[in-house]
Amino acid sequence: MKSAATPEQPGPDHADGGGQDLASLLARVSRGDQAAFEAVYDQLAGPVYGLVRKVLRDPAQSEEVAQEVLLEVWRTASRFDPARGSAVAWAMTITHRRAVDRVRSENAATAREQKLTPGPVTGDDVAELVETALDRQRVRRCLGGLTALQAESVKLAYYGGYTYPQVAEVLGVALGTVKTRIRDGLIRLRDCMEVTW
Amino acid sequence: MSSQRHELHLLTGSYALDALTDAEETGFAKHLARCPACAEEVRGLRETAARLAMATAVTPPPRLRQQVLSAAPRVRQLPPPARGALSRAGQRTVRRLPLAKAGITAGMLALAAAVVFLLFTQASTRNQLQQAQASNRAIAAVLTAPDARIESASASAGGTVTAVLSLQQREAVITAAGMTALPGSKVYQLWVITPAGAARSAGLLPASPAGSTPPVLAAGILPGDRLGITVEPAGGTAQPTTVPVVLMRASA
Repeated sequence: MKSAATPEQPGPDHADGGGQDLASLLARVSRGDQAAFEAVYDQLAGPVYGLVRKVLRDPAQSEEVAQEVLLEVWRTASRFDPARGSAVAWAMTITHRRAVDRVRSENAATAREQKLTPGPVTGDDVAELVETALDRQRVRRCLGGLTALQAESVKLAYYGGYTYPQVAEVLGVALGTVKTRIRDGLIRLRDCMEVTW
Repeated sequence: MSSQRHELHLLTGSYALDALTDAEETGFAKHLARCPACAEEVRGLRETAARLAMATAVTPPPRLRQQVLSAAPRVRQLPPPARGALSRAGQRTVRRLPLAKAGITAGMLALAAAVVFLLFTQASTRNQLQQAQASNRAIAAVLTAPDARIESASASAGGTVTAVLSLQQREAVITAAGMTALPGSKVYQLWVITPAGAARSAGLLPASPAGSTPPVLAAGILPGDRLGITVEPAGGTAQPTTVPVVLMRASA
């Protein structure tokens, strides 16, 4: 669905950016439309791969998980419900969940007793997409408006794929503190980025 | 109890970021079903997280495209959920209606346009088109019903849809203004949708290059039904095949 005509009523797919509207493409994908799926791929592959890579860091694994996610979008397109959020948020929720599941199953299997190694939020050697330069700028600016603890908590949880008890351990603060910092930080980001949903 | 609930409410952020432990996540998911305020907050925070995700976008390896696109046809797709997209899409209208500030004036204009159209056609076709007249009488009956109410909503693809609704008559007169023009292969189709999600066609919205569509009468409307408009192939379909661009509830 396109954004509504008046500025005070942006549509739920405000975050879709330009190009064809992702929500209606997904409706077509749910009916097996492969051309629509190509268009969906072209809109989502960058953010999907980028987010998975941010969380997992290993390029080969990231490619594998990104492929799983994009096929999951194909498989479950009929479950996307525009009344419950934007198409981008739906896809990114699937993406983050998959990436995090991969991280945690690995941690469970191989590194249960190892110390956590923080520092996942670093620069990358891959090409950032020009289309999302504005998103990056805004996110950077809004993250800058958070307290250090809020920003670190949100970044470790989302980009690092840490549970909040793990965040608390890494940052050396109480569980309850992390819980509230993550929520307060996200709410501030929401208001800063003028998320309208 | 209330402080416990407050504690749970603090988990919205961690839940939106998939940062709860498995046990907590299961518990919080149950809580969400009973706490609409929490669900609403999670929704907004997930949209926020999606912005964080968009900012990480990078060019994937080129071979990924071929791998994904060639694998997709071999992956069986899930059928739509049992309750159907239509029944749940209604939540969106509930959210949107209070926002439709602009709709009030636009709605009044559309109503005036409908009435003018009605009088005009009645005068000019009095002796020729009895069928049209009957339809106009039906429209007039709705417009003049003592319980007639005007409802207005913005369509997601642009434009405003106005309905004059009489639950006594069980009928509604619908006009639309400023809708996005469709290619010749597509039409706007009007539906009456029961609370259970069953949809019944109430006809096609006539194309209107000039702005407002002529009024369309939808009959057999019961309290709790919704009026929806979808984009369909020319000629219309037996059942909606796309997500409605607008939904309005016929509450008493």
